[in-house]
Amino acid sequence: MSGARKVASATAAPAGPVSLPGLSGAWRRRGRAIGLGLLYPLPFLLILLAWVLAKDLFGLSDDVLVTPAAVITSAGELVDFGTLPGDVSLSLKRLAIGSLLAAAIGVPIGLALGFSRYGAMMFDPFLRFFQAVSGIAILPLLLVWFGFSEATLQLVILYTALVPIIFSTMTGVRTIPPIYSQAIETMGGNRLRLVRDVYVPGALASIVVGVRLGIGYGWRALIAGEMLIGAGGLGFMIFDARRFHVIGQILAGMILIGVLYLIIDRLILKPLEDVTVRRWGLQRV
Amino acid sequence: MATVTEQSAEPDRIGSVRRGAGIEVEGLTHHFVNEQTGESVHAVDGVDLAIEPGEFVTVVGPSGCGKSTLLKAIAGLIQPTEGQVTADGVVVRGPGRDRGVVFQDLAILPWRTVRRNIAHGLEIQKVPRAERDERTRYFVDLMGLTGFEDRYPHELSGGMKQRVAVARTWAADPEMILMDEPFAAVDAQTRITLQEELLRISTVSNNTLMFITHNVDEAVFLGDRVVVMSRRPGRIKTALEVPVPRAERTLETMAKPDLVAMTERVLHLVREEV
Repeated sequence: MSGARKVASATAAPAGPVSLPGLSGAWRRRGRAIGLGLLYPLPFLLILLAWVLAKDLFGLSDDVLVTPAAVITSAGELVDFGTLPGDVSLSLKRLAIGSLLAAAIGVPIGLALGFSRYGAMMFDPFLRFFQAVSGIAILPLLLVWFGFSEATLQLVILYTALVPIIFSTMTGVRTIPPIYSQAIETMGGNRLRLVRDVYVPGALASIVVGVRLGIGYGWRALIAGEMLIGAGGLGFMIFDARRFHVIGQILAGMILIGVLYLIIDRLILKPLEDVTVRRWGLQRV
Repeated sequence: MATVTEQSAEPDRIGSVRRGAGIEVEGLTHHFVNEQTGESVHAVDGVDLAIEPGEFVTVVGPSGCGKSTLLKAIAGLIQPTEGQVTADGVVVRGPGRDRGVVFQDLAILPWRTVRRNIAHGLEIQKVPRAERDERTRYFVDLMGLTGFEDRYPHELSGGMKQRVAVARTWAADPEMILMDEPFAAVDAQTRITLQEELLRISTVSNNTLMFITHNVDEAVFLGDRVVVMSRRPGRIKTALEVPVPRAERTLETMAKPDLVAMTERVLHLVREEV
């Protein structure tokens, strides 16, 4: 591992535009990584700039759009009231339960469907159909069945996350070169071996993609669901703020929804990808 | 294994007790539909071939002559349209660990390290950990992969991947080993090394071997017998014994007049089919 890295830096060093004496390759690489990392906030800064300019240029009142500073103040107020931490943890808890359930159910179903070419063919339009009927579209039905309850919210996330997870897992299994299974079979491997040694690791890149999508869609559906259910959570918080025209709170909630997703994605899903598919050289860029 | 190790140190880890497994192909005919083009392919037609226990047979023929189809039928990876294959006296109905395959596209698993790829067959056979590790280490050394045990395939050169694939099949110790152009994708220098290595291992082990290639020199250098196939639909055109015993062969012996003559003859036979 480290050998490969050393080789890479040794060949990269002479090609570099400036060679700083006394600065080791490792430091230079770290500097470059930080430099590239600065690219990520740039689009956010641009939209922030547009926001400030728009408010100034069009002379928008605080009833329409508040300043970024006011949003921070609103968020601070919500923390002081003690409502925000509760809403955030409630939403995150719902998302965690719903996505874990969706992965626990969806991955095995996806694997099972992917085993057979005909299974995958048969369920392709079926899954696409349900991909189109979003979690929000089934919410009315769930409300009739389960009322304005926690169960309704959980089912919305579960349903929303389940479809992409099944679909992606199934496609992942189908795209594994058949030669890998053949190799296991000629070594005397049975079905269980195929699942363990070929299908699961071979489809892992797609499974991770499915889970990422599932959590993303589930998060969106949850926020929408919370607005209607009225039992707390970030969605309820921003919807409730609308009644009192508290633009600052609405924007604070919106920003938080996005930031929380980015954190989940970075903290949970990317590391998983790093220790598996990226290490195996299977990263699909 | 214990009884075997007593006999001598090196060869036994490669080939354990030989059960004398021969291969018999009778009236093999196969048609299949090419999924991309939708055209029906008549791959092989009425192939009869008997491979003696412990024999090393090389198969040459023009591209698309059904060499791989023949190998897959013996491996049990395809069900032939007509005819049957018998391995060690048993009719082949599917793949089995008695017939190991080194695939043309290697088929080593990208998510397993070199060590775990080589140990895979032993793992499937539930060989105890200690013995598995020992055999794996032996093949890692034999194939010159020392120091690369914990690398993943994408970190290896083409020649090294090839060696991992060969080692994986050899470590599993099947009675019959079927190799489908395993050295086709490596550079000339590595290819020679691998050929010499294969020749050496095959003389100390006692496996029955079938080796497919389109390289005539390779076929003559490695085989006890060279089988020449016709162009599609593939038939056995002829089979020729190689005049120098396998154990005595080196790159130098290839310059001997009778081997040169044989190589030219096989080359001529293959050229007639292109």
